[in-house]
Amino acid sequence: MNRKNRILLLELTKTDFKLRYQGSILGYLWAIIRPLLLFGILYLVFAKFLRFGSDIPHYPVYLLVGTVLWNFFIECTNQGIQSLLIRSDLMRKIAFPKWIIVLSATTTALINLGINLIVVVIFALFSGVSLSLTWLLVPFLILELYLLSIGLALLLGSINVKFRDIQSIWEVFSSALFYAVPIIYPLSMVTVYNAFYAKVIMLNPIAQVIQDIRFCLITKETETTWSLTENPVLRIAPLLFVCLIVVLGVIVFKKKSKYFAEEI
Amino acid sequence: MKKNIYAIEVKNLSKSFKLPTEKSSGLKQAIFNRLKGIKGYTKQEVLKDISFKVKKGEFLGIVGRNGSGKSTLLKTLSQIYVPDSGKIKVNGSLVPFIELGVGFNPELTGKENIYLNGALLGFSNQEMDEMYDEIVAFAELEPFMNQKLKNYSSGMQVRLAFSIAIRAKGDILILDEVLAVGDAAFQEKCNQYFSGLKGEQTVIIVTHDMENVRRFCDRAILLEDGKIIKDGKPEKVAESYLKLFK
Repeated sequence: MNRKNRILLLELTKTDFKLRYQGSILGYLWAIIRPLLLFGILYLVFAKFLRFGSDIPHYPVYLLVGTVLWNFFIECTNQGIQSLLIRSDLMRKIAFPKWIIVLSATTTALINLGINLIVVVIFALFSGVSLSLTWLLVPFLILELYLLSIGLALLLGSINVKFRDIQSIWEVFSSALFYAVPIIYPLSMVTVYNAFYAKVIMLNPIAQVIQDIRFCLITKETETTWSLTENPVLRIAPLLFVCLIVVLGVIVFKKKSKYFAEEI
Repeated sequence: MKKNIYAIEVKNLSKSFKLPTEKSSGLKQAIFNRLKGIKGYTKQEVLKDISFKVKKGEFLGIVGRNGSGKSTLLKTLSQIYVPDSGKIKVNGSLVPFIELGVGFNPELTGKENIYLNGALLGFSNQEMDEMYDEIVAFAELEPFMNQKLKNYSSGMQVRLAFSIAIRAKGDILILDEVLAVGDAAFQEKCNQYFSGLKGEQTVIIVTHDMENVRRFCDRAILLEDGKIIKDGKPEKVAESYLKLFK
């Protein structure tokens, strides 16, 4: 990345971050409050009333990790897809690499995740989760999720420039996807019901990352893609899928971005 | 080795746009068109086989009616649009001003907008720190810097934008209709600035004001329907331009 692009990325990210909570009294605090409130609701409904996850140690932390990561994924993809339309003015007026727009939008989400993770860690320590060396693996897993989000944002964002339906389709699809990822329900519920379904669920890289992070952070009893299957191909399938999306996203974006200025 | 005396060389440049024939741009329409074998757009040729060269240090004016392709030409030179065919060779760094105050955000303060706009021109925070006072002084907006931009009058916004723009350093400046800025007093400042550029810097400017063409330009090009129909002395080109409307 050359100097000019670095300056641009930094300033656009700063502006995004500033504008996100403009005019709200609590300002940046919303970055923490929103996922916490969502977590509170899910906790009440699923853990307290429906009694999900009573067999899992530190289930509230377990749930919080899931919601925070899911939030990050959704924020990243949605902001990334929309960012190209929001910044259409820039693209029509100056020449610069367009991926900077997507990168700056997702960086804002990354910063929010960072703030939220601090909350998660504090919450985890208070709940009696013990520190462990596997915590050090968490950044790599987050990187995997981030790459998946960027790949999707590049891919869908570049199509969305011409076909605005993509944004709506993605919103519906992602809310369906939410139920296909073990966030509000523990994976063990699915395993008991049908082990095959559980394996299918865990091929999804989002599910794999969330379960792996729970494994590293909270309890080694967490079922992961690795623990559910012996097949080496299936074990790395989620990672391969992430690579595929990233490569596809970069190729499509590269091809389409040349014409953003005139098509938008 | 022969020294390259040209700042910009344009050879056989053509550019066309696909204009959608349907109002809605959406997936449904795209699939529908594909099925029916309709293209769904008409091709409009905006620049047709244009060739010209700009010498280093030259002040070139581009004139023409609305829709003759001036802005498209500037945007193609600025690498915002990709040409269909032909070649553009640029020797040196190029700073385009298709519009003043690109990226200005009404929700940010004047100060924040200066830094944002500066970043779009390639200036780091530290560089902007050094220039900040001069920019504000030139714009004559000292008391307003911590106000949100939405509370500025349009004249104030343009003055601010212009004051940042003239800080930009590049071998070639490209300006689209940005000469007429602010009130009479500020105009005078702008004119001084442009006079100062003359002979020093390569400038390409699009304008409708023949007064400015005569005053600043060394050479002018008249565009009509995507072609260069006149290329030469500013007085002559201005004359031909005015004749178009008779």
